[in-house]
Amino acid sequence: MLKVYGLFLVSGLAVGSLYALAGIGLVILRRSTGFLNFAYGALAAAAAMVAWQVADWGAWGPIAWLSALLTGVILSVAYGRIIAPSLAWREPAVKAVATLGYMLILLGVMGLLWDDELRKLSLPTDKMATTLLGVRVTVTRMIALGLSVAAVIAMILYLDRSRMGLNMRALADDRDHAALLGIPIVRVETIAWCISGALAGVTGLLFGSLVRLEPTVITFMVIPATAAAIVGRLNSLPMTLLGGLLIGVVEAMLTLYKPLAPLRAMTPFVIAGLVILWMQRGTNLTFATKD
Amino acid sequence: MKTTLLFAATLMAGAAFMAEPAKADGHAPVCGLNTGTAATGDPIKVGGINGNAPPGDFSGGTDGAAAYFDCVNANGGVNGRPIEYIVENDQWNPELAGQVATKLVKDENVVALVGNGSVVEMAVNAPLYASEDVMVMASGCAISECYESSHIVSTNQGPLPSGIGALKFAIEELGATNAACIGFNIPNNGGWACDWMNEYMESKGLQGTSILMDPTAVDLNSVYLQALAEGVDTILLMLPAGPAIGLLKVAEEQGGRDLFKWVSPTPLYEPGVGEILGEYWSENLYINIELNEFDSEGADNQNWAKVVEAYGQDGDRQDTFSQSGYISAKFFVDALLKLDPATIDRPTVTKAIQGIVGAESDLLCKPYYVGEADRHMPNHAGRMVVFKDGGFELVRDCYDIDTNYLDPIRAQEAALGLK
Amino acid sequence: MQLLTHKSTLVGLVALLLAVILLPMFAGALWVKVLTSAAIFALAASGVSLVYAQLGLINLAQIALIGIGGWIALRLNYGTALPVTLIVLGSGILTGLIGALFALPALRMRGLYLALVTLMVAALFQIMFNAFQFPNGGEGFWGVAQKSAASIRRPAFAETDEAYFRYVLIALGLSFALIGLHKAGRPGRAWAMTRQSEANAMAAGINVTFYKLWAFALSGLLAGIAGALLAGALGQLDARSFLAGEGILLFALAVVGGAFSWLGAVFAGLLYKLLPALFNDWGLSADIALIIFGGALMHAIMTAPHGIAGQILGAFNKEKSDD
Repeated sequence: MLKVYGLFLVSGLAVGSLYALAGIGLVILRRSTGFLNFAYGALAAAAAMVAWQVADWGAWGPIAWLSALLTGVILSVAYGRIIAPSLAWREPAVKAVATLGYMLILLGVMGLLWDDELRKLSLPTDKMATTLLGVRVTVTRMIALGLSVAAVIAMILYLDRSRMGLNMRALADDRDHAALLGIPIVRVETIAWCISGALAGVTGLLFGSLVRLEPTVITFMVIPATAAAIVGRLNSLPMTLLGGLLIGVVEAMLTLYKPLAPLRAMTPFVIAGLVILWMQRGTNLTFATKD
Repeated sequence: MKTTLLFAATLMAGAAFMAEPAKADGHAPVCGLNTGTAATGDPIKVGGINGNAPPGDFSGGTDGAAAYFDCVNANGGVNGRPIEYIVENDQWNPELAGQVATKLVKDENVVALVGNGSVVEMAVNAPLYASEDVMVMASGCAISECYESSHIVSTNQGPLPSGIGALKFAIEELGATNAACIGFNIPNNGGWACDWMNEYMESKGLQGTSILMDPTAVDLNSVYLQALAEGVDTILLMLPAGPAIGLLKVAEEQGGRDLFKWVSPTPLYEPGVGEILGEYWSENLYINIELNEFDSEGADNQNWAKVVEAYGQDGDRQDTFSQSGYISAKFFVDALLKLDPATIDRPTVTKAIQGIVGAESDLLCKPYYVGEADRHMPNHAGRMVVFKDGGFELVRDCYDIDTNYLDPIRAQEAALGLK
Repeated sequence: MQLLTHKSTLVGLVALLLAVILLPMFAGALWVKVLTSAAIFALAASGVSLVYAQLGLINLAQIALIGIGGWIALRLNYGTALPVTLIVLGSGILTGLIGALFALPALRMRGLYLALVTLMVAALFQIMFNAFQFPNGGEGFWGVAQKSAASIRRPAFAETDEAYFRYVLIALGLSFALIGLHKAGRPGRAWAMTRQSEANAMAAGINVTFYKLWAFALSGLLAGIAGALLAGALGQLDARSFLAGEGILLFALAVVGGAFSWLGAVFAGLLYKLLPALFNDWGLSADIALIIFGGALMHAIMTAPHGIAGQILGAFNKEKSDD
């Protein structure tokens, strides 16, 4: 029986780390630019599809993975430089809605470029595996988990220690004041779009390899990833990581309880909903506050 | 929007492999009147609806039928009248399915529909076909409405007989006693087929469980784990090829091959599957096939391969649905050839299709028939193959299944004098 | 102002009459079906628009409420012998109540967080619909039998596709009238004040909680009616029609069409259902429609907050003043 629990724990951590990785990319961008990027999943999908395409043309593996990273960065920065500036002073909800438009465009373009056949994105690490708690775990799954933990630590250090990190935090706190202080807003924001895009590229690559390589599926992965980000209050990286992992594990464990098994996919949304309600506690006024 | 299995290259390899025996013959395909001259008369409009979008491609039936109709048109048509075949894709979308059927039946006024393959279309449109008295000779059916409607008759077996056929083999040859049926949580598809599967297991004094998954489910890993948690000894993959392969991949990753006996209905019998599954599954995956083997020697199968090669389009699927679409189209044309070409319209065609009884083909184990009935399931006897060395090997020839579901069907067959 | 509303009402009435009488006569069977869907989703979009335009709130969960309305309608269809019109109304009212219930904890939120809550709700219901499916004539509370679906009734006077289209159009007209009455009356003024400042509205003695809930209930009512009408139009409902992504699209198109007038909702319905059907008929990919939708949404957000309807009405009014 212990083996069965181990099985579900490992499986849950694997899925959860993907939610967490995507959630972290969302939070980093949201913190420094105010954009909650609903197109994040679409960026990941495009990255995964490009990697598949490049590999399909016969390119050497690492080139294909690099192309995924670049696709994420280019598409993210393109939006950050071309569209985002004209929305910079609008409220967060409007910014988020605008990214929905970008998501639809990317989804449409991917649909045109790649028809719906079944594809497989193979990484060499898929074939390597070790046994953990009686479960065979591929190296790809371990990379996903390791990468999300590493990304959180690296980003926390970066935001804490570096000048750029300081600038990003200043921007996140108050854009107007940051501008007055002479912080190079455009440069700081571009870097945030770049980091977030790179994370999207990696997430897409791992998701395409571990779960399913299909544009629509990866694009709408942004919804559970948003749930992970909500657990981190769209702000905290460690909480987002924990949120993503928790969601993944609870979702996998529910499989063992038959009455709830068919509903286990609801986990991210239930947890996010509870967190939002928790955040509202103590607020007695009926009317809304600023976001 | 043609779907191949994994990579285009895989399909090419698979197709070349499959087409080999047909080329050896060298003769031109035989179609309809086989006159060698193109038909130029007033076209007869025939419709076809397939479902081609994630998570499954059911376009093989209309591909096979289209190739045969093209061949017939090049060979004298239906007594001089060519067939104008209009194919629509429902994209697994109920609204679109209703719209395209309305277009074909009401706006285009087709005399019949041939080659349909979908998991959506028949459920939405069965009432329309009945009220407009238009027959559908489907080829790629997977839902209950295909087999429980007065105006739909499908050449393929669908998941229910094919799945029970696979289970029967698993019980008798592999010693299965407790099976999990993994299917989509769609009441008239996975729910329907897995329910009858469990009933079948119980009737044999054995155990069965349904594991129904969301068709949009992303994480196949947890579906596999669910089967593991059930503690069954046999897994029946009641899924289209794509998700079924995904599940096998997960099982491979977890080293699950030897924990279960793996059986599947027809969808996994498909050229190209060998390349994707690889050595790991060799001799460990048993598949029930609803029509004959792709490389079988019978006249109809040989002709199918030639028709598809000569008249098919690039990217056409050459799977069981394609065989099924071809033979549906052939039965359809044979029935129409008996009519006076000037009188061909929807009522005469409906009558002619309902008049088909005892049509024989080496693609089917038993004669095909339609008749006038409130439900149709002419094909329920199949064969069993094992996946081996990247190909398939026959392990059991034609056998019928024994389930209460067939009671009304057997009554029809007795009434029509078929046994 | 009064006159303008009056004129817009007149134009709407004439357009509705013409559509009811003429469209089914000239459109082919396919287009009658497509336009029926478009009208149904225009009805649902008008609910999204109402909440967005009057209160500035983003609701991405309208698709879930349409599904709930459809579910209730199917349940009533199989479980009772009520006349269809009563089922449609009942589904609408129950869905409205459910909509208000869901809005209750969300009342303190607006902006991004409210949008996120509605997105979570839409995703939640996508899973629920898939897990429990829609009633198809089976036993028990969920009413799902693992077999072919039993038939769904349409009103006796609207059995054919053409007559049902007219029935849907009339429902659409009545719904627009209901919204118009609200906007012109007390609730409209309360919403306008609430949107500007909730504190001021409260100070002016407006029951902010009540009127906010009322807006959500009204929007839910429209979604419920749309769901019930959809069930009748298709003859069945399928969980795959109610994905969270569709909720996003519906909101996007409500903004693109124009959230501030009934014309905008009509555009939203046409864009959502007619455009992809046209593309399908021309042999073009539906993906092109997605690209257009995305571009139009960004355009609307950045430069045309009143959407297509706003631009058309704006041009129309300008011409008038130029004369």
